[in-house]
Amino acid sequence: MSNEATAHDHHHDHKPPFFQRWFCSTNHKDIGTLYLAISMVAAIIGGLMSWYIRLELAEPGIQYIDDFQFYNVLVTAHGFIMVFFVVMPALIGGFGNWFVPLMIGAPDMAFPRMNNISFWLLVAGFILLLLSAVIGDGPGTGWTVYPPLSDSNFHPGPSVDFGILSLHVAGASSILGAINLIVTIFNMRAPGMTIHRMPLFVWAILITAFLLLLALPVLAGALTMLLTDRNFGTHFFDPGAGGDPVLWQHLFWFFGHPEVYIIIIPAFGIISQVISTFSQKPVFGYLGMAYAMSAIGVVGFVVWAHHMFTVGFDVDTRAYFTVATMVIAVPTGVKIFSWLATMWGGSIKMEVPMLYALAFIFLFVVGGVTGITLANASADLVFHDTYFVVAHFHYVMAIAAILGMFCGFFYWIGKMSGKQYPRGLAKLQFWVFFIGVNVLFFPQHFSGLAGMPRRIPDYPDPYVAWNYISSVGALITAVGTLLFFVVLWMTLRSKETVGANQWGVGATTLEWTVESPAPFHTHEELPDMTGKAPAE
Amino acid sequence: MSQRAKKNARFAFMLTTLVAAMIGLSFASVPLYQLFCQVTGYGGTLNTENVAAPTGVSDKTVKVRFDANINPDLAWRFKPLQREVTVKLGEENLAFYEAENVGSKPTTGQAIFNVTPFKAAPYFTKIECFCFTEQTLAPGQIVSMPVQYYVDPELFEDLDTKEISTITLSYTFYPIELDESEQEDGEKINLSAWVTAPNKS
Repeated sequence: MSNEATAHDHHHDHKPPFFQRWFCSTNHKDIGTLYLAISMVAAIIGGLMSWYIRLELAEPGIQYIDDFQFYNVLVTAHGFIMVFFVVMPALIGGFGNWFVPLMIGAPDMAFPRMNNISFWLLVAGFILLLLSAVIGDGPGTGWTVYPPLSDSNFHPGPSVDFGILSLHVAGASSILGAINLIVTIFNMRAPGMTIHRMPLFVWAILITAFLLLLALPVLAGALTMLLTDRNFGTHFFDPGAGGDPVLWQHLFWFFGHPEVYIIIIPAFGIISQVISTFSQKPVFGYLGMAYAMSAIGVVGFVVWAHHMFTVGFDVDTRAYFTVATMVIAVPTGVKIFSWLATMWGGSIKMEVPMLYALAFIFLFVVGGVTGITLANASADLVFHDTYFVVAHFHYVMAIAAILGMFCGFFYWIGKMSGKQYPRGLAKLQFWVFFIGVNVLFFPQHFSGLAGMPRRIPDYPDPYVAWNYISSVGALITAVGTLLFFVVLWMTLRSKETVGANQWGVGATTLEWTVESPAPFHTHEELPDMTGKAPAE
Repeated sequence: MSQRAKKNARFAFMLTTLVAAMIGLSFASVPLYQLFCQVTGYGGTLNTENVAAPTGVSDKTVKVRFDANINPDLAWRFKPLQREVTVKLGEENLAFYEAENVGSKPTTGQAIFNVTPFKAAPYFTKIECFCFTEQTLAPGQIVSMPVQYYVDPELFEDLDTKEISTITLSYTFYPIELDESEQEDGEKINLSAWVTAPNKS
């Protein structure tokens, strides 16, 4: 089957001219590439912001950022950019577009033109967000945009409105993308590719798309209320006129908690593919893995208030949200142990993607354990808004998602570009980045436990040591990031090409049956998956 | 349109309906949240529907403190005429606030209210209150505003609330802008005729 498909594609592989190809694209691979590109651009901007923050925090006192509103703007923009314009575009828009159709044996997405709109809406959203920072004082609200700080008394001027509009547009982009992915996955699978034979990455994207569909409209609704509160005299969140700012927190976190799963579940999918490939075994407990992700998605919608334990819930509410939050550790544990069981007895190849997958598991477990700590309402009252929380979510969702992206990049770059990445340098890049992020974020647990508050540009002397180490870690991470772009450059210029199946017997999913780089059109003759084992 | 394209379009339409439903739900959450708060006393919200008279007076007492706030857009002065009283559980009590219009034209306001600690809300009952309706004050007019309330003796039966010794009742007046026709038809209480104002102390 593999020979048939590749031979067929070869003859029809003519691409449109440059402008049409990249600006009017309806090809899922090209749109995926565009998503990956905007993610990298945004990552540089968002990364520079975080390094500037760490530079200020390297020593006590105020050295570089004497405008504290600007500090708040940096913190806010860093969060927004990383969540909406780095991780989501790369994992869902980038790898999702590239590999969902390839893995399920579809010739393209269900709605290729809508795919194009999704991408360009994201670009528009990104530009609006950047504009919000330079028009007026900038939005210094934190990515949670809590009123009253975000209302017109405390943020007059158009900055917050630009931010709101940016999220509306980026949200519309994600909703369209999610609809496209769901329809593609349900309606466009090759014959014999049943739901229970789909690779776990496709499962992950499917669940993520449903989470997007259910969570983002709630954010859109809440943002609209905030916009009318700011500009049109409504009082949804104004307690001085019958509104309630806590309602914003409920609505925001009803979106915000599923959002963290939207970020991490696609990474779960990538890690599952990679661990199976490099252990040269099918993934352990395929159905358990798929339904564990579904369970995480479902339970993720009923735990939101653990982000707001300090608003004054009664003891029963706290007990419920504590327990419900801890329940999520069960399906997550199923995934961790299934990954370990997949490796158990496997013939493990320590290629760069596998290193990243192992690092992902390590970081995710550390972040998961601190998550269980924070889930306790009584303990959370103390940890709330300290660096302990910052360390927790950077481990469990931010850096873990970035490692998942690097993992997917090294796993699939051969398929996407047809080139071999420089193995030695890529390994070096992995170690520098891995050591960097741990030196960066692990000490923040300690400063947080000692009571250091987040979102403040200065701190008293007792916090000096861990902050200095943390900033050194940020420097190492910056070197690791720079190395990544060197690796990317060298890969794209490399003369060393890779074959259709770069990874050998462990790589069983359909994308490895088409040649590398994947031709412009693939699966024009649908592969027949009847009778194949799950995810084979 | 091919069969597959039709199928895809139908499915996409269903998913769009789901998105619309979720947007609807986010706006529906505003009244639903209000209802939820009133039913459960969540966030210190008092239930003002179907208020029953107290059933029996207890010897136990609790302190009730009074707090007044004003929305900056409303040119009124607003203060409680007593800061704190000690009341018997189950006993009907009357407290007074005083409002003055310091602006140059008649304005209408409405007060919202809650109690802290939040968990005391289900046991704090208002029988009659100036906050149930809109209030209109002429320029320079000073009125006393009464609130008739009792604290349910059940307060000390509930394990979660039995340690409460002080309940704070808080009001915030905010402006209501009515157009002319509404002002005429609007349900209002003639404050001067309602109760005799207490002596200012």
